[in-house]
Amino acid sequence: MDVWSSLLDGFATAATPANLLYALVGVLLGTAVGVLPGLGPAMTVALLLPVTFALEPASAFIMFAGIYYGGMYGGSTTSILLNTPGESSSVVTAIEGHKMAKAGRAAQALATAAIGSFIAGTIGTVLLVVFAPVVVKFAVSLGNPSYFAIMVLSLLAVTAVLGTSRLRGFCALGLGLTVGLVGADPVTGQQRLTFGLPLLVDGIDIVVVAVAIFAVGEALWVAAHLRRTAAHVIPVGQPWMGREDWKRSWWPWLRGTAYGFPFGALPAGGAEIPTFLSYVTEKRLSKRPEEFGHGAIEGVAGPEAANNASAAGTLVPMLSLGLPTNATAAVMLAAFTQYGIQPGPLLFDREPQLVWALIASLFIGNLLLLLINLPLAPAWAKLLQIPRPYLYAGIVFFATLGAYSVNLQAFDLGILLVLGLLGFLMRRYGLPILPLILGVILGPRLEKQLRTSLQLSDGHVSGLFTEPVAIVVYVIVAVVLLWPLARRLVRRTPAAGVGAVEEREKVEAR
Amino acid sequence: MSVVVGYVPTREGETALDHAVREARSRGVRLVVVNTSRGDALVDERYADDEQLAALGSTLADTGVDHEVVHTIRGRDASEEILSVARERRAELVVIGLRRRSPVGKLLLGSTAQRVLLDAPCPVLAVKP
Amino acid sequence: MSTAIGSRDRRSRLAGRSELGVALLLGVVGVVVLVDAARIHAPYSQADPVGPRTVPFVVAGLLLVCSVGLAVNVLRGGHGEAEEGEDVDLTAPTEWRVVLPLVGAFLANVLLIDLLGWVISGALLFWGSSWALGSRHPVRDAVISLALSLATFYGFYLGLGIMLPAGVLEGVL
Repeated sequence: MDVWSSLLDGFATAATPANLLYALVGVLLGTAVGVLPGLGPAMTVALLLPVTFALEPASAFIMFAGIYYGGMYGGSTTSILLNTPGESSSVVTAIEGHKMAKAGRAAQALATAAIGSFIAGTIGTVLLVVFAPVVVKFAVSLGNPSYFAIMVLSLLAVTAVLGTSRLRGFCALGLGLTVGLVGADPVTGQQRLTFGLPLLVDGIDIVVVAVAIFAVGEALWVAAHLRRTAAHVIPVGQPWMGREDWKRSWWPWLRGTAYGFPFGALPAGGAEIPTFLSYVTEKRLSKRPEEFGHGAIEGVAGPEAANNASAAGTLVPMLSLGLPTNATAAVMLAAFTQYGIQPGPLLFDREPQLVWALIASLFIGNLLLLLINLPLAPAWAKLLQIPRPYLYAGIVFFATLGAYSVNLQAFDLGILLVLGLLGFLMRRYGLPILPLILGVILGPRLEKQLRTSLQLSDGHVSGLFTEPVAIVVYVIVAVVLLWPLARRLVRRTPAAGVGAVEEREKVEAR
Repeated sequence: MSVVVGYVPTREGETALDHAVREARSRGVRLVVVNTSRGDALVDERYADDEQLAALGSTLADTGVDHEVVHTIRGRDASEEILSVARERRAELVVIGLRRRSPVGKLLLGSTAQRVLLDAPCPVLAVKP
Repeated sequence: MSTAIGSRDRRSRLAGRSELGVALLLGVVGVVVLVDAARIHAPYSQADPVGPRTVPFVVAGLLLVCSVGLAVNVLRGGHGEAEEGEDVDLTAPTEWRVVLPLVGAFLANVLLIDLLGWVISGALLFWGSSWALGSRHPVRDAVISLALSLATFYGFYLGLGIMLPAGVLEGVL
């Protein structure tokens, strides 16, 4: 099965008029959502999960992927044009991009962001095409014990490494696993945590959980701390760049991509670290370091590329192993389960058409984003005039609609409220969201893998350690868990650039 | 005793400001300029940014009139803020600028000017550019 | 800004105490999971040596450990960082005046949706939510709410084949 011919088949599917339309809708929605503060691709995909009832899987995922990539583009537009910097997720882009805009170079900033995103996204997707099958081939050779070990590692990595408090990460994980436990045990049929309520026997639908945690929880949190701002958008014409700007952007784009892709592919890598690294690198390598902080184009080109490459990188473990490394990937995985498709290494085997159509549409989506955003970037800024009451009332409205449409039961709305309040509490007390959602999604799968592994070894726990890969992974797990203790012992040497470390720890799990 | 004017960085607002300055000068009272926003949307072009604020400040300084600028976001409508300031500062006159609205616009969006006219504790001067 | 930092300190001390509530919650959930798992009768089976009780016990254990750990952490002065979202202003305390009506609007919808139908109930939800969030244009909001609920009602039916409840307006729509 030649990779490139599969990809061509994927293009054939992705380029049908219907799917092109879905790609377009996806990128438009994604950009809009990226522009607006308080909304994000994860929330949007969660709110759109009901469409999986009517759409073919390929079409739905094409749209979701469009939303994912689009979100990156939208965020950079806001951070460049809004004269209250630091208000969007592309914080690093805002540092230089906004200064450029104030100096009258908004068009160049937008152009370098858009083109860089396109290049990074395309290269990233090519790398995805190259690496994903390799990972799949490796993963398929793994047995249950190793797969279980890898799942444990990725869960642990996200919980223990991301965010400022690993303790709270574990708290969130525990809660997520609990939610995942509700329902009838798949193996024995025993009721767990159903409290005699027949409506809970099927468990709590992942759509309801996703919508509750991402949408309702966020809406409640924003409502509790409603911001009152009145900023101005810096007016700008068509984005474009002069030759000098192109020359200065090329290498940052490529370097940014190199940073972003690996971090995106690693669990707990995320997009914040590579964008920051890219910024620091560009500053160090620049022939004009004094421009940094006053509108250096390299400071926009690199981080934007890193951002998009990281998004592509995230798709490697998601598609090849079924392991999500950020919130949006997690919600997309939930969509897989909605369709009854089992994510994991066998996905490429069982649903090649879907996977390759999805990957092909990433290329198409990237191109669409470039073509749309280059001329339309200033227009997107108009969206920022939508009053918050409508935005968040809309989120609550669509969240309710989405959750209700799963089973047409008001009971699900009750669960939505309870879990939404949980989402609110978590945001209030600094419990990270990602471990919870991963616990809900991966928990049942982990349990299944565990039981199958031990079943094959007749109940001997050593059955978990029968494969060399499993042992290696567990060693890594031990290292990850014991790292903070080791650090405390060695803590005499203050980290160089403590400020840099603190900057990096401002993580936003969207 | 003072003259309160609702200011927006537009033609209507500048006109209102001109009239307000003249009134404040002839009455010999302080001029209070109110520029506010509900802060509902992330972007509000009617709220003066730093540049516009500075320009406003220098214009006011040039007039030589005793003045004060109220530039807050308190989650209230412009009309509510203007009226509240008028009451606090015991205004003897409120000046506002009028803009054209279609009949449908008047229904759906309400009108700052209308609310100020109806609820003001003192005479209101409504001007058009 | 000293006021921001000052209020942050005050908040974090208060939050310290209320964060114990989270630890309590974790503990309660842990106990619930434990008790629920214990009541499962699962004789040992060759085919399934792990059994349906093992993972719940592990999860309960994790929750209880975390509960204690969090309580210790909070009492020692640690506190969770409230999430700084893109659109969140953390310098003020929680505005219950906004959150409670919002939750109220949500609850009203939960209770009324099957009775009054989506068109009315959903419109009420949107209208109530925008009011709670600060919009003061009731007529405009009502128009938008109804438009949204009607559009989604028909949209879901025609596009997704999902029949949202018509409730009181059965037969009219």
